[in-house]
Amino acid sequence: MNPIESILARASGKKSVSPGDIVIAEVDRMIMHDLSGYMTSRVYDEKVGKPLKHPERVIMVFDHIFSPPREVEAEVLKSDRDWARKYGIKLLNCGSGNIHNAVARGGFIGPGMVVVGSDSHTPVHGALGAFAVAVGNDCHAGMVFPHGKAWFRVPSTIRIDLHGELRTGTTPRDVALWLVGQIGEDGAVYKALEFGGPFIEELGLFDRWLFPLITVDVGAKCGYIEPDEKVFEFARAANAMQSWSGLDITPRGQRIPEAVLTYDVSKIEPQVACPPTVGNVQSVQAVAGKPIQWAEIGGHGGGRIEDIRMLARVLEGKSVHPDVRLNVVPSSRAVFKQALDEGLVRVLHDAGALWFPPSTGSNQSVNMGAMAAGESMISTHSRNFPGRNGSASASMYLSSALTVGASALSGRVADVREVI
Amino acid sequence: MSDFKFKGSCWVVGDYIPTDQIIKSHRFFLPLAEIAKYVLEDENPRFASAVQRGDVLVAGKHFGQSSGRAIAVKALQATGISCIVAESFARTFYRNAFEVGLPIVEIPGIRGAVIEGDVLAADIPGGEVTIERTGQTLRGPRTNPFLLDMLRAGGVIAIGTRLADSP
Repeated sequence: MNPIESILARASGKKSVSPGDIVIAEVDRMIMHDLSGYMTSRVYDEKVGKPLKHPERVIMVFDHIFSPPREVEAEVLKSDRDWARKYGIKLLNCGSGNIHNAVARGGFIGPGMVVVGSDSHTPVHGALGAFAVAVGNDCHAGMVFPHGKAWFRVPSTIRIDLHGELRTGTTPRDVALWLVGQIGEDGAVYKALEFGGPFIEELGLFDRWLFPLITVDVGAKCGYIEPDEKVFEFARAANAMQSWSGLDITPRGQRIPEAVLTYDVSKIEPQVACPPTVGNVQSVQAVAGKPIQWAEIGGHGGGRIEDIRMLARVLEGKSVHPDVRLNVVPSSRAVFKQALDEGLVRVLHDAGALWFPPSTGSNQSVNMGAMAAGESMISTHSRNFPGRNGSASASMYLSSALTVGASALSGRVADVREVI
Repeated sequence: MSDFKFKGSCWVVGDYIPTDQIIKSHRFFLPLAEIAKYVLEDENPRFASAVQRGDVLVAGKHFGQSSGRAIAVKALQATGISCIVAESFARTFYRNAFEVGLPIVEIPGIRGAVIEGDVLAADIPGGEVTIERTGQTLRGPRTNPFLLDMLRAGGVIAIGTRLADSP
């Protein structure tokens, strides 16, 4: 069995499982954010309402709302807080960071775990060697909360091997965006994507993070990167190694994935995912010159210390274009502290950037980031669908932090290679 | 309706419609009956006000992609449509639909074969749709018996305990 099959077999008390099997598996972690938590808790109270089987496995993170802008959001948080207290689950309050970074850095996720979340980017925890899947509110309410279990169809696995060295100006996020374009938005429906190869092995944990992050956008069920010493070191420090031992994993050389896709990353140029979908990926030159009013480092895959360092590298000693507002949203409190310690808060402040609390930033424009018709933003966010950030006639471009920085300087989508 | 066979006139939307466009995030906190009035408001402003109970929604590729919110399925269900027929669905939407009890079926080629207003006969278990105007029958994969069972029960909450206790 590959690691995903092995995790699912153990969690469902079976000796082995095969793609296509439907299993009922023990869930190690269930994560939800303020909005999904609100909807899930309402469904639960209305239709089930008994004590949670394993409240200690359930974590709610307030990440869309870092400070309620209106009474309606204040009521949502109050309801969530009361619910968390009533059922005894763990709550990470406003300003903890975006859900996925906050739970990973909080030591709630480790290799070998079964993780479910209502947020569609939950598969990102495959970067830590977890089997992590997005499931809906009713599954949480009907199975995970009352029984600590969920049903899964065992996915078949596609191996994605990446090799080669990056060009100047190209970052791991450009590779991930490029892959969405290569695989296509419905190119891997229901599959597990296992990322590997020399390029992935060289990356640190939070650069690897960007690959399982994109799996939902190509239709896949989950992403997975076989954990190595870098991941174990992180997980040990976070005290999250308890689920790794006792798995029956066939060595990689003896496993047969459904397909193997091999890509050379050395020719990839900086990429931009253009409206209206994440799969509309183009090289930066194809969109360079498009005026922008907003730029942002943040979101489920953004706001990492790696992003903030890249932004500082582009902006140090320079000024953001007067027509642009540049938002910086750290992915967690740990990242903000790191940025403080490295002097990056000052560098970006002096360049004209605005610092926001650790959160999911302009994601769905719940607490910030709405645009008027005709306005455009370039960001490290994960989604660019029309209407997600205010007007359906506003445009969201997704790129690396380097490209966001170059664009913030010039007031237009810009090629970072012309700046650094 | 006999075991998830439906007949109704259809509405047609395009490829890659995200859940964000099915229902926008600032509508989440309304009651479902209110939410139903804003379904697909940017994509097709006429849909929510003119849709009739029993109508069929036809969609293109990877319908319901983006955020995995079950509210997108519940909002569509609240409009009174009988089922959704699409070229393909995002997996989060597909799972949510069966877990919430909204019948859906994947039928490759459907979007190019229909025009809005066509009367369709959809067989969810069998994975078949017949277009009354042309007499053409299109086929997709049969629906997994496990998911059909969930649909017959009305969703995952109704059978959660049975599933959790199954060996």
